Order: sequence, then C-alpha cells, then structure tokens
Amino acid sequence: MSDISHAADWGRADNVSLAPRISEDWLSLIIGILVFALALAGLANVNLIGWVVTTSVWTNLGQALKTVSNTYGSFGGVGALVATYVSLLVVLGAAAAALKSDLKRFALAFTAVFWIAYASWIVGNYASFAAVTPAELQKFGISWSLKLTNEGGYIFALIAGLIIANVFPRFADGIKDAVRPELYIKIAIVILGGVFAVTAAGKLNLASSLLVRGIAAIIEAYLIYWSVVYLVARTWFGFSREWAAPLTSGISICGVSAAIATGGAIRARPVVPVLVSSLVVIFAVVEVLILPFIAQTFLAHEPMVAGAWMGLAVKTDGAAVAAGGITESLILAQNAAEGVKYQAGWILGTTATIKVFIDIFIGVWAFILGYIWTNHINATGEKARAREIWERFPKFIIGFVITFTAGLYLALATPTEVASKVPAAINEANTFRVIFFILTFFSIGVLSNFKRLWAEGIGRLAAVYFVSLFGFVIWVGLLISWLFFSGVKPPLVS
Amino acid sequence: MTHSDLHEELASTAKEPLLPIEKKLIAWSFGLGVVLLAILTLVNQLFPVA
Repeated sequence: MSDISHAADWGRADNVSLAPRISEDWLSLIIGILVFALALAGLANVNLIGWVVTTSVWTNLGQALKTVSNTYGSFGGVGALVATYVSLLVVLGAAAAALKSDLKRFALAFTAVFWIAYASWIVGNYASFAAVTPAELQKFGISWSLKLTNEGGYIFALIAGLIIANVFPRFADGIKDAVRPELYIKIAIVILGGVFAVTAAGKLNLASSLLVRGIAAIIEAYLIYWSVVYLVARTWFGFSREWAAPLTSGISICGVSAAIATGGAIRARPVVPVLVSSLVVIFAVVEVLILPFIAQTFLAHEPMVAGAWMGLAVKTDGAAVAAGGITESLILAQNAAEGVKYQAGWILGTTATIKVFIDIFIGVWAFILGYIWTNHINATGEKARAREIWERFPKFIIGFVITFTAGLYLALATPTEVASKVPAAINEANTFRVIFFILTFFSIGVLSNFKRLWAEGIGRLAAVYFVSLFGFVIWVGLLISWLFFSGVKPPLVS
Repeated sequence: MTHSDLHEELASTAKEPLLPIEKKLIAWSFGLGVVLLAILTLVNQLFPVA
C-alpha cells in the first residue's frame, strides 16, 4: 500500500480487510495512458479532450477560464470547468470502485476536493499574485505583484488543504475518500512521460545526458543517505531497528513508498511505516513551501541544478515533482525578466527523471533489507522472497516509460505532417497533468494535521527527520546536483 | 496498539546496540556510495553534458 491518505490514518490502515481488485499503481498507469491516448487522437485530426479547462492569469474573473482547444470554444470557461469535473468524477469514480471505496462517499468527497482545489488554483492565477514580467504588469494595469507565476496556484491549493486539515479536521475527515495524493501524482507522472518526450525530442543529446546522470541520484539516495541517516537514527536518537529502518528509508529514498516497502520487508508492525509516512508528508509540505523559493534566489542561473536538487531533497513523488514544477516556473520567470528565455519542461523533466530513477530501485533495496533482516537479525521470521522485488516495483513507472517512448517515437520517427501535430496533442494531455498536480497539492495539505501527529508522540521521530533532512540530505543533495548539473542550461526558446 | 502505548514507545530510548551486520551494512553502503560517486564524477568530467 503506497497511499498516503491511508498511511496518514494509521488506525484505519491497520483495519483494512477488503483487498482491492487492482492496486493504485496499476490504476494510475491505466488512467495516465488513457489521457495520453485520447490526446494522441489529435494526430488523426480528432480532438477528444480539447474541452479540458485551462486557466490564464487574470484580473477579470470572467476571462480566467477557457477550453484548452479553440475547437471547443463554445463551451466557455465555466462549461469547460464543469466538463472537466464530470469527466474526472467518472474516471476517478471508476478507479475508486476498483479500489473498493464507497462510490457515493467518493463522489461527494471528490466534488469537494475538485472545486476547492481548482478554486484555489484560480485564486493563485490572480494577476497580483501571478504576474511576473513588466510587460504582464503593464498588460493587467497593476504596479506590483507577488510574482509567484501562475504555478504559484499550487501553493494556494496546498494552503487551502492545510487550513482544512488544521482548522476543520472533521471536514478533512469527511473528504478523505478523495484525498489520494499518490494516485493523483502517479497519473500526472505517467502523462509527464509524454510531455517530457516532446521536450527531449528537441535536444536528444541533452536529454540522454540527463538520464545518465540520474544514476548519481540512485547512489546518493540508497547508499549515502541511507547509511548516514540509519546511523543517526540508531545511535544518536536510540531508535529500535523496527523504527529506524522505515524512518531512514522515508527520509533517504522516496518518502511514503520507501517507508512502507521497507516496513513490509523487515516485517515491522503496520503502524510503524504508516506513522513514518505521515511524518514524511508533513516535512514534504515544509520543503515545498521553502525550497523552490530558495532555488529561485540562489540557483536562478543554474536551472538544472535546481531541478535535480528538488528531486533529491524533497521526499514523496508528489511533493518532489510538484516542487520541480514550481521551481521551473519561478526560475523561468526570473530569467525571462532578465531577458533570457529558456524552454519550459527541462527543469521539471530533470526533477521527474531523478525521482523516477530513485523509485525504480525501491523494490530491490527493500529486498536487500528484507534479506538481511530475515536472515541475520530476526532469523526466525518469514524469509524475504525475490518476487517481492516485482511486487514492490512502482508500476506507474512503466506508464512513464511507455508515454516517454511513444512520445519520442511520434516526435522523431513519424512523417513531418504527423510529427508537427504532436506538441499540440501532448499539450492537451499536459493540461490534465496540471489538474492532477493541483489535486495532489491540495490533498497533501489535507493530510497534514500537525496537531494530531504531535499528539501521537511523533516528536522524537520528527527530530531525526529534521536533523537528517536539514543537516544533511538537503545539502548533500545540493552538492551532488551541483557536481553533475552545474553549467548545464536548458535550450533557449527559438 | 493505542495512541498512549505508541506515545510511550516513541518516547522511550531503545536498548538495541548496533549488531555487526548493521555496522557492515552501514559501512559497505557508505563506502560503496562514495566510491561510485567518485567514479561518476570522473566520468562526468570526462564526458560533459552535450
């Protein structure tokens, strides 16, 4: 189980009795590829998802929303928003049914999640928050802006979720069926594979160089971070092995998924990885709120270092890729204001690639730990089995590889009349990717009930996390990002 | 396990000294990581990003 929404509620997670028909991983793969495939119908001049809503920076609310494609312009902004809501309700409702959730409760909860999250996104696109360049300020007739860019809307969605979690906890509990950040971000990552492919097709040498450098991230997360954080947790803070191993994987590797995989591998009680996962989410929120702005301040002229840093320092797929999105937006805007226009997609693509590379080996690492624990530490227990590597493999990565490969093929190996239509088609899928990002941010906020976690006695776990993350992980991540990505610049807009 | 049990368990310090196998795991992971990173850094210098 890699769902933070369940992980955050440890009492409930212990009592799960009905096994779903399909895992969230496989569902995210199916939904992501479905969106990608529908978008590709555009290559045959059939526009199937051009009605999805997109938001522009605004001062007049009536002009904020529109369909992504002019083909469906007659829908209007509100029509596009309703169509997007209904389509997501149907698709995610089917996913909820497959996960054996109560469909009626899911529908009600998703309705609240979607409308609050998207309303936050619209607020975040208000010109006084989002406008960046002098030209934009002039266009909207304003003299000052927070310059958060339109992707600052993610921060608004996150804050809305945090307010609900900490001020209206009963409401947060009421919508928990649709608070599924892991599902949303995995779907987004599958779609992102296709988006990144189109970006990479323009500069294949650069893209392949970045992929090779992703190996450094694996070594750092699994070998260096893990060994140091485990030593700190065991010796400085005196945690037992059962607590130290999942906690270390959560801090070092990839947050929720790694903590849960490690907990299962070393046969820890279910409450251990679940509580660690809750902690991971809290710290991820803090990182998302801080690190992109630090990156903008100090790494605006090293965009790829910033992207890699987000992938290495921010834990959980959702928060990391989302932080990459905000970082890209902030850094591109700052460079644009200085007259340097980088192509979009490279910073976010670097973050996502780093994260995907790290995710691939979760199952292998869990198996290694499981082998050591079941043979040398708790030798009487059930032995680790090699097939657990596949069982713990994050299947959505297969979706990322499929969309990336298909996107690359279509952009590079098809006749010009087909290849020329690929960016527009993928752009429609990318609009859905943005919406899944918004849902992810909001959901992460809703899961972050600081007061409740503190009451559960999480303080000492949090101390390990704080010391390791801010004393070691973030800075080593920055150093290694610098070693491998400094001087590497995204292509300029032609 | 109740919330208060959990609170007590987390508040208490463990009395589990590091086993030799844990020390070996830490040392090998860290050592291998540093060596591989050094090699990759060298490769990165020899074959810079295109």
